[in-house]
This record gives sequence, C-alpha cells and structure tokens, in this order.
Amino acid sequence: MNKTIVAISTPLGSGAISIVRMSGNDALKIAHKFFAPLKKQKIVARKMHLGKFDLGNNFEKCMMVYFPSPNSYTGEDIVEFHLHGSTALTQLIQTKLIEAGAVLAEAGEFTKLAFLNGKLSLDEAEGIIDEINSESEAELRIALSSADGKLKKEIKEQQEILKNVLAEIEVGLDYPEETEFVDLKNSIIEKVSQVYEEIDKIISYSEQTKLIKSGVSVAIIGKTNVGKSSLLNALIGEEKAIVTDIEGTTRDIVEAKIDYNGVRFNFYDTAGIRDSIDAVEKIGIEKSKRMLDIANIVLIVLDASKKITKEEKDIIEKLKSPHIFVVNKSDKTRVLEKQKEEIEVSALANKNIDILKKKIFEKTIGDNINFNATTIANERQLEILKQAKIQIKEAMNLRDESIEILSLLIKKIWQTLGKITGETENEDIISLIFSRFCVGK
Amino acid sequence: MMKETYEAIVIGAGHAGCESALALARKGHRTLLLTISLDAVAFLACNPSIGGTAKGQLVSEIDALGGQMGIVADKTAIQIRMLNRGRGPAVQSLRAQADKVKYHTEMKKVVESCPNLFLKQAEAEKILISDDKKIVKTAVGDEFEAKVIVFATGVYLNSRIIIGSYTENVGPNGFKNAKKLSSSLKDLGYKLLRFKTGTPARINARSVNFKELEEQYGDEDIQSFSFITKKKIKNRAKCYLTYTNTKTHEIIQSNLDKAPSISGEITGIGPRYCPSIETKIVRFADKDRHQLFLEPESLSTAEVYIQGFSTSMPTDIQKQMIHSVKGLENAEIMRDSYAIEYDCIDPQQLNLSLESKLHDGLFFAGQINGTSGYEEAAAQGLIAGINAALKLEGKESLILSRGDGYIGVLIDDIVTKGTNEPYRMMTSRAEYRLSLRQDNADLRLTQLGRNAGLVDNKRFEIFLKKKDKLEKAISKLNDKLKIDKKLIDFFVKNKENPPKNSIKVKEAIKRSNIDAKKINEEFGIFAEFDDEIIDELNLIVKFEGYLKQQQEDIEKARKTEQVKIPHDFDFTKQKGLKIETVQKLSTIKPENLGQASRISGVSPADIAVLSVLIKKHEGEKSERKNKKDV
Repeated sequence: MNKTIVAISTPLGSGAISIVRMSGNDALKIAHKFFAPLKKQKIVARKMHLGKFDLGNNFEKCMMVYFPSPNSYTGEDIVEFHLHGSTALTQLIQTKLIEAGAVLAEAGEFTKLAFLNGKLSLDEAEGIIDEINSESEAELRIALSSADGKLKKEIKEQQEILKNVLAEIEVGLDYPEETEFVDLKNSIIEKVSQVYEEIDKIISYSEQTKLIKSGVSVAIIGKTNVGKSSLLNALIGEEKAIVTDIEGTTRDIVEAKIDYNGVRFNFYDTAGIRDSIDAVEKIGIEKSKRMLDIANIVLIVLDASKKITKEEKDIIEKLKSPHIFVVNKSDKTRVLEKQKEEIEVSALANKNIDILKKKIFEKTIGDNINFNATTIANERQLEILKQAKIQIKEAMNLRDESIEILSLLIKKIWQTLGKITGETENEDIISLIFSRFCVGK
Repeated sequence: MMKETYEAIVIGAGHAGCESALALARKGHRTLLLTISLDAVAFLACNPSIGGTAKGQLVSEIDALGGQMGIVADKTAIQIRMLNRGRGPAVQSLRAQADKVKYHTEMKKVVESCPNLFLKQAEAEKILISDDKKIVKTAVGDEFEAKVIVFATGVYLNSRIIIGSYTENVGPNGFKNAKKLSSSLKDLGYKLLRFKTGTPARINARSVNFKELEEQYGDEDIQSFSFITKKKIKNRAKCYLTYTNTKTHEIIQSNLDKAPSISGEITGIGPRYCPSIETKIVRFADKDRHQLFLEPESLSTAEVYIQGFSTSMPTDIQKQMIHSVKGLENAEIMRDSYAIEYDCIDPQQLNLSLESKLHDGLFFAGQINGTSGYEEAAAQGLIAGINAALKLEGKESLILSRGDGYIGVLIDDIVTKGTNEPYRMMTSRAEYRLSLRQDNADLRLTQLGRNAGLVDNKRFEIFLKKKDKLEKAISKLNDKLKIDKKLIDFFVKNKENPPKNSIKVKEAIKRSNIDAKKINEEFGIFAEFDDEIIDELNLIVKFEGYLKQQQEDIEKARKTEQVKIPHDFDFTKQKGLKIETVQKLSTIKPENLGQASRISGVSPADIAVLSVLIKKHEGEKSERKNKKDV
C-alpha cells in the first residue's frame, strides 16, 4: 500500500560508481523485474550481488544489495543498485524503475522516513527539516525562474482546457434536471487529444533541450572491418581511432566530439561485434552492447561490397533504438541488398559524410532546433508530464465507458498536471461550473 | 423562573436538531429539544423535496447510521424519481417530492413519542458556561442546565426577510427569529458570518393553467431512501415544467433598481448555486429563458412551489413577473417570494466531530455552520448528536472520513476549508464518488452506526442479511459457465464474441453488452437473489479496476489520517515551518496529518516538515516521561 520511492543518491556526472536507491514495500518486487543475479543465486539480505539489469535490448552488469525492513536506513525495504558512473545509464535505470511503479523521491524523503521510523535520534530532526526546506526551496526557485514560469503557464492552459471539460461533465451530473442531456464524448475526446499533443510537444522539446545540453550520443556499430573507425575519423575530421586492416583493433569505445549546427555530438566507436575469445576484447564488446541502449542513435555500418551476414541480421533484429544504415565503401561495386533508410558513404573518400551528419541531426534533434523553446521541463516535471501522457492515452481508449468514468480519468490528468502548476483545488472546478452555467433553483 | 437539568440540550428542532435530539435520546440520554415554534419542527421552509444529486446519497447515509430523515421521507413522499439513470452508477440519486405538511407532523410525532426526549417551545437567548456546567437561558428567563449542548438554530439567528424595500426581523415563513443568541455566541468568542438565501412564491393550484405545461411523473419502479422501508411507495402527484421568457426578463431588467440584492440593500453572501432569478438574468444575459418547475407542496393544500423563481423584488413586480410566464397568467400568489439574511458561525472553529474548538461540550450542526439544505443539516445533526452522546459516555468520537461517505466529505470540507457561501453538497465534491454510492451506503456505514450505538437490532439484522447474501453472490462469480451451444448462442444474441472455452461468470459480466441480470435470466445462476444484490454484483464486476484503485487511494489517505496531531502541539512554537503555514495551521488546528494536507496553501514540503515535528514532539514527550519514571 505504501509508495516505493526512488532516487539517484550519488552526485551525477562525477565518480566511477553511481547508486540508485529504492525504499518501500515494493522495492524488491520492482528490482526483480529487472535484476537477476549471476548464477541464479537467491537474493540474500545485506549481501552484494553481482548480476544483470535488464535494459530492454540489453543487459547491464551491476551490483545490487537488499536491506529488508526494519534493518535498513529508512526502516523500510531498501534496494540499491551500484552502477558504472555514467549519467545516461544512471538516469535510464531510474526511469525504468519509475516506469515499473516507483515514484521519484521528494525533497529529503529518505532521511524523513528514517526519522519517522525511529532510525535517527530526535536531535537530528532540525537537520532533516533544514534538508527538506532547502531542497524544496531550491525546487521552488527553479519553479519561479522565468523559463519555468513559461512552462507553468503552458501547463496551466492545458489544465484550463481539462477544467472546462470537467465543468461541462460535472454540471450535467450535478444538475441533471436543469441541463439538457448532450452526448459530450466526442468533444471531450477531441479536447483531450489536443492536450495530449501539447504535452507531447513539451516532452519532446524538453528532451531535445536535454539532448542539446548533454550532447547527442551516437554509437557506431557493425561487423569487424566494415570501416567503423574510418567512418568515425571522417565524421570528426581527425585521426582519433586507430585504423588498421587487422580484425579487432578497436577494443575500447573511442569517444569523439563534434559541434554540428550548434549541437554537440558524441561518437562512440564500438568494438566489432563477433564472438571473441580475447578477454580484453570481451570487455570492449560488453561495453559496446551497453552503448546501444544509451545511445540516442545508432549508426549500423555495412560493407557495400559484401552480402549481409547472419550476424549482422541478428544485430539489426535485436536493435530497438533509432538507427541509420550507413553503407560504407560506396566506391566499390555494390553487392549489399538495399536497406531501409540507408545512406551510401565512402569514409575513406569522405563522400556523403555531410549528408550523413545532416541525417543524424534530423533523427535526433529534429528538423530544426527550437532555440527559443523556453518551455522546458526539468527531470521531475518531465516525469509528471510523461505520467499525464499515459493517463490521457488511457482515457482516450475508454471512450465506451460511462461519462462518470471519463470524468474520473480526466480529473486524474488534471490533478497530475496540477503537481506542476500547484492548481489542484477541487473548488476551482466547482467555481467554474457556477461561472459558466446557469444552474440552481 | 424555572430551573431544570438534563444531560443534553439541543437548540432548534429543524432537520439538524431533530436528528441530534433523536440520536442523543435513543442512546439513552435525557435530552431537551428547544424550538422557537412547535409549528416549525422539521419544517420544509423552501422546496417541498428531499434528496437530489449528492443529497440523496446523504439521506441514505443518514439512514444507514440509524438516523430518521430517510424513514420520514419515504413515508411522506408523494413522488419519487431516480436522477441520472444512464449517466453512471455513482451519480444516481433519489429525489422525492415530500408532503410538506405530513413531513412536519410525521417527524414531530417521532420526536414527541421518543423516550428520554422532551420537546419544548422556547427561545434560547443566552449561554452561560462555567467549568462543568452549561446553562441555556431562555427569553422568559428559564434556565436549563446540561453537560452538552448542540446548536442547530438554522437560519433563525438574527435573521431578517427582505421583499423589495420591505424588511422585517423575523425567521423563515414569518416565524419568530432568535434575536439575542448570536450576540451571546459572539460574547463567547465565536466568529460570525452573515449569509443569505431565499425562497420563491407559492401560488394556488386552481389558478394555474396546467394543460399548457409539460408534465413530470415519478418513476415506475420506485425506490426508497431507507434500507428498512418495506412498504412500496406510490407516486401520487405530478410536477410541471414551464419557462421564463423575454417578457419576464424585460420586467426584471427594467426594475433592477428595486431588487435589494442588486441595489446593495442585502449584504449577506448568497449561494452561487441558488441564485435569485434577477441574479440569473444579470449574470447570464444571453439566455432567453430559464426553467421553472411547479411542485405541489402537499396533498392537503393547493399551494404550489415555483422552483427557479426565487426573488426579493417588491410584490407588484413579483406579480408581473409570475403572470408573464406561460401557464401562470392568472396565478394567485399565496405567499410572496422573499430573501432571508442570517448569522452563522465560521465552521473552521469546529473539530471534525462538530464539537467546538473553543468550548468543550458545545456542538454545532446545520445551517448555523454555513451550510444549506435539509439533507446537509440532518447529516450534521446526526453526527453532532452521536458525538455529543459519545462525549457523555466518555467514548471516542465518530469521525467519518472522506472515503467513508458524503457526510465525511461535507464535514471535512467546512471544518478544514471553511466556506464563503452557504455550502451545498455536490457529487463533484467527493473524490471517491464511485465508491460512495447510494446503493451501498448501508454496506459502508451501518457497522459504524452500530459501533456508535445507534443502529438497532432490526436495522442491523437487515444489514447482516444483505451482507451475507452479497458475499454468497460474490462467491458465485467464480462459477464457470460451461461451453455449449446455449452459451455461444447467449453471447451471439448479445452481440459479443463467444468464448472458446468455459468462462467464469465474472468474465462474462465484464463484457460490455452482458450483465449479471441477463446471465441470471438465461442461466439462473443468481435465482435466489433479489434485484438489489444482482445490481450490486454488476457494479462490483464492471467497475472492479476503478473501485480497487479508489480503495487503495482511500487506504493511503487513511494512513495520513492516522498520524494524529497531539492536543498539546503548539504550531507557533515550531521551528522550520513557514510563517504563513503556521498561521493557517494554528487557526484550523488540524487533528491529523491528512486534514492538515487539505488546508489550502499547505504544501507537501510543509507536511513533510510537520510529520518530522510531530514525531520529535512525541519522542521528547516520552523521553520526559521516562525520566520522570526513573
């Protein structure tokens, strides 16, 4: 019944390890959805377990520890994941846990729980209160900043649409004798889908901005020796990766950065995907696989002069991230089958490289950058908007339900958005009923 | 000068006062019920109807807890309709035309014949409070003493009626008002509010041209408010529908300067949901007509109530207005429409038990708390009565949560948020509406009423039987319907894809074109159960997901309500709370964390801080105690 909270409890972007922590009744249940210890051992209390975290397309190796209630920091069940210190990976894992039912922790919530459950001494109360206040003030400061004010205004407009829909439904329900029965369903669905589109736009703007800030990650993947390294060199215009003719030279992910149209692109060359016995290379391959999940886009490099192999087909089938087929060695005779959304390039001759860059840009950032988009949601707001998006989808799928149920679902969406704007008072809807409709004896 | 002592005194014998007094007396406490006029006991001062949206739910909740309103409403109903059929199960509400004369006499009879209950005509004038003694002094100088007092004075406190430029210091319908009691309350420290309401004219039925008007009948399959009413109610009256028109609006427009509510003569705050016709015309100028319902007041009188036509215009204008309406061209006006202003208290001065925060043993219920409506009044009266009795018995109060029922929503709303207009119950106020239905009021509340000592054996047995039957019926939901031609035909007939294998009854009911009733008609699975149970099953299955979700939300809220804020917790002495928050908290003095979170302007971060402070307070208290013990 109690909610299970989650937070990244180490500073982001620095440090070799980052920790994602969950507390609550469902912590272990949620953890089990993703994590399996190696060698299938059972999870034991207060022991570090090496295992795999299921990221959907791939697995991430990490450590996990479980502290059952009441012998934990908060007094509730706690699960911690100790991960490689990558910002993108850590955030991805937090998002997965939220999708599975955990909620993002409020300001100072872990410490608060620890105190309420008698884990901390009474003297510590003041410190905890300071922590809650300062964290929530920090959030409030962001909320009052101009960029965020714009977001609030836009969300408020969406809430206004929903509020009007609710008032229309509710006046009929509370004053059935004074209002004519009109079937509102179609107009409701229409207005709600309008809200859906707006929210979706804000989400993608925000994600775009996040991308622009952090840089776009581009992974280059392909069979050994299709010219991944030379492609990377062509893209960045300097010799960064080692280019040789011997299979498996690129053992580590090589990172390179370019600025293109004002956006930073981080390229990750991956080791060639093939079964290798070389232990060092195996580590490289593991990392490559992880990259596929974290990358914003994957370049699948194929050799124009060769037929597609079974190994390549396997990779392509498994890959769920957005991707582009890069057909390299275009100067050779084409043997390779035509690929969907392909670009023919010659890395060595520097042919079509600019077209490829443009394509990468379009597929990640979009047709154009909205440099003026000030409606950017922060991490917490983004979670809220995504939740609202799911709720709207649910409501739109239930058009056959009674008007009363639709009202219930729409009110939920309105309340979810209220977490951003602060407008959650039911009285606001009731006031609208009386200002818009002439009802009452 | 006479002096008498009782255990409890209830001031006012309207809908709140009667429920309060009956609850106290039925729980065995010697109770004095004072009324300003014996002819005004349970008087339906405005429209002759009980129930309606959200109010129907309130009446059934009152009934489930062992109150009286539902029983009397069933007994005196002359027409009954279920509103909102087809708009969803939770918003269906029963509405009855009640016989105004019979309602009054019937309730008065119940009160008069109740053991331990003493009904007396007298005007309460002053309250004297000393340590354990509370005395009500009447206008003639008599003194009545008791341990607990329930104030249920309705709209009688310092009231005045207004008709055009005429105004008189009287109560509703010309009854005497209570002239001094509100100043006594003020002296005791209560913050008073001044509210306004109104009631339309009554006309003689013989002068109405009904032939011209649309008729409105009651339901054929009539239902009752009370869970113990056995007798089938009959529809014995019709209502009629007519409309205002442009001519009516012109008359009003050209005489607006004579309307006291618009000219500023009336300063009391009126309800938005019950606007006078002049307010409607000013605010909704684009509407060219407004609905008017003609409702019979009683089978024993020709008076007809014109719903939707309340005004405080001078009588000559009222007459012109009425005569401009189709069917009312020759209407004889028997009672003029009037506005009424009255004193009430700010309900934020009360605890959730309806006991005053200012004085132990003083309870408040009904319109004195700034609410409106017979049903809202009765609901509070019942709770105040039960809690006054529990206080006498030294037991813990009965506090209904927002998840328990509309009564919980009503009391939490007014006590936590206050109100700046007469408060009316609406289904949109109840966040757990889907769970708070009229049909399950008994399942939600009868056990609580039994625990509080008000539900008698007869009601309790009926409840247990229903519960038992329902459980039996629910267990049949997992029975399987065998796959055969009959089953397939049944699905096809109802335009549903037939199943490939045998199917659980529950799964079949989940299909949108199939319900428990149809299954029963075809397969006789629920043959031993009556329609009430079968309908309930349908709801339980069809709304399973939503109901479950709501139950979880209710449970979550209950958890925050279980964190009590101790009585000796001084908000002003706490470090870490914002000044505005401290001000709000120390005015409302919430009883638990859940209630605190519902105060407007209190943020989740404030609640987090508050939870830490409460824990610290409790911890330090027990440390001090331990030290002492050592």
